[in-house]
Amino acid sequence: MLAIQAEHVTKVYKGSPSPALSDISLEVESGQVFTLLGRNGAGKTTFVRMCATQLMPTAGSLSVLGLDVIKHAKQVRDLISVVPQEGRPLRALTPWDHVYNWLRIRGENKERAREKTEAMLKRLELWEARSRPAMNLSGGMKQKVLVAMAMAVDAQMLFLDEPTIGLDPVSRRQVWCAIKDWKAEGRSILLTTHYMDEAEMLSDRLVIIDRGSVVAQGTISDLRKVIPHNTRIDIAKDGLDEETLKSYGAVTDTGVGTLRVFAFESAVRELSELAIRRNLPFTVSPVTLDDVFVYLVGNMEGNES
Amino acid sequence: MMLPVRQAMLIAYSTGILWLQRNPMSLVFTAISPFSLLFVLFVVSGGQYVHLAVAGSLVMALVGYGLALGQDISFYKTEYKIQDIFVASPVSPLTYMMGLALSELLFGLPALTVLAILVVYFGGSLLTIPLLLVTILLLWGSMSAMGFFISSHMLHMRNATQVISFVNVILAVLPPVFYSVSTLPDALRYLSYAVPTTHASIMFQQTMGLATPADWSLGFGFAVQIAYLVGFVALAKTKAIWRET
Repeated sequence: MLAIQAEHVTKVYKGSPSPALSDISLEVESGQVFTLLGRNGAGKTTFVRMCATQLMPTAGSLSVLGLDVIKHAKQVRDLISVVPQEGRPLRALTPWDHVYNWLRIRGENKERAREKTEAMLKRLELWEARSRPAMNLSGGMKQKVLVAMAMAVDAQMLFLDEPTIGLDPVSRRQVWCAIKDWKAEGRSILLTTHYMDEAEMLSDRLVIIDRGSVVAQGTISDLRKVIPHNTRIDIAKDGLDEETLKSYGAVTDTGVGTLRVFAFESAVRELSELAIRRNLPFTVSPVTLDDVFVYLVGNMEGNES
Repeated sequence: MMLPVRQAMLIAYSTGILWLQRNPMSLVFTAISPFSLLFVLFVVSGGQYVHLAVAGSLVMALVGYGLALGQDISFYKTEYKIQDIFVASPVSPLTYMMGLALSELLFGLPALTVLAILVVYFGGSLLTIPLLLVTILLLWGSMSAMGFFISSHMLHMRNATQVISFVNVILAVLPPVFYSVSTLPDALRYLSYAVPTTHASIMFQQTMGLATPADWSLGFGFAVQIAYLVGFVALAKTKAIWRET
């Protein structure tokens, strides 16, 4: 069964001259982490909110776990759990209050709710702060409280809209582990993030959305193929002129004093030798998701640089 | 316990009792405001209008605590995004509304209890308590549903606060809530009968032994209040925005 099936989904907000999402079609397999990437305002949250039955689509058909989100919203809601973008826990409530009471509201009995709350708070390192009101928690801990609420629930599908925003690197990895465990149980996840390392680490498949339309989708290796070269070399800007570099491959300015050349390995090897001869600092690496993202949505006409 | 009832109780517990346990002064602050007009009227009239002032204050408190639900809902929706979590869950909008309405009632309990005791004290009979409680519940229910309905259509918390303040004046200040309906000319009196707070105030006045208008009856008062309750609960259920469009 597909976790999500979207066919020609369009969303136009009232009073808006252009659609927030236009003719989106995609499929998400069950038991996978599917990631939406896109710039701010690209339409990621709109798509997540429509899937999570929080927002009505304007046109098209959209089903979650085989259920139409308009006709069978109530049944969908029994099967899903969400972390909203820019959500905040209630000031006076502790992490324990949030997770335990939410589990009780979702129908768990007291004993099971206690066990699951304890396990989730320990997993996300919130256990020691379990009795501290949210107003006394750091921003990252507050975010983890929302993640804990969503992930403690026995849902089949999890919607995470920028769940690791504001988290330190250790906390992000804790959330990643929790996501992987969730997936290992055969459950599905729709994730949005601006962190490319997170997307690379977690995603089975990804879609890149720009200005309401899908510009690419597939596995990470599929997306890497969008850039015709497989390797990149960053080289000091003042060492070699751009025209020379262009003879090796596609050149972009990183904006931090280096030029980035996307090229095949043989050309990169030649450039590396040239840089060594001229005593220029350089770094070589495979093409990353970050490169693909910038390549696809960063240089389009009308986008900010 | 049925799940929706348990859900409502847990919402009330989370947003009401737990908050009050950790911020007990909130209870004092929210309890004081319904007595402000009672105090002014008592002082200005030298105690002459105390019955009307008590009835009016009780109505105003119920309108205030009921509509305050709308402000809470707007706050949880726009500032905390908590409503997004509830929408994408098995909790129904009416259960969510009920939970937050009960939470608001907790904040209002001290003031409502004191005002209700004053009504019984001035009425001089414990037999009036059932009538008093039913009137309180009807008005609180319809005001809560109205608050939920209004706030669900507001995109910003500031809009919700402004509209709710306006409705508060329309329902608790302009109609004969703090003054006798008999002082109004006929046309305005009939108009005021279309407002549920008029009837609630008359019922409280009756409970305290004040004369009621000749063209008014308890059945009429109940009918209007029940109509408002049913109407606004129906509006909250069918026309309030839960899933955004």
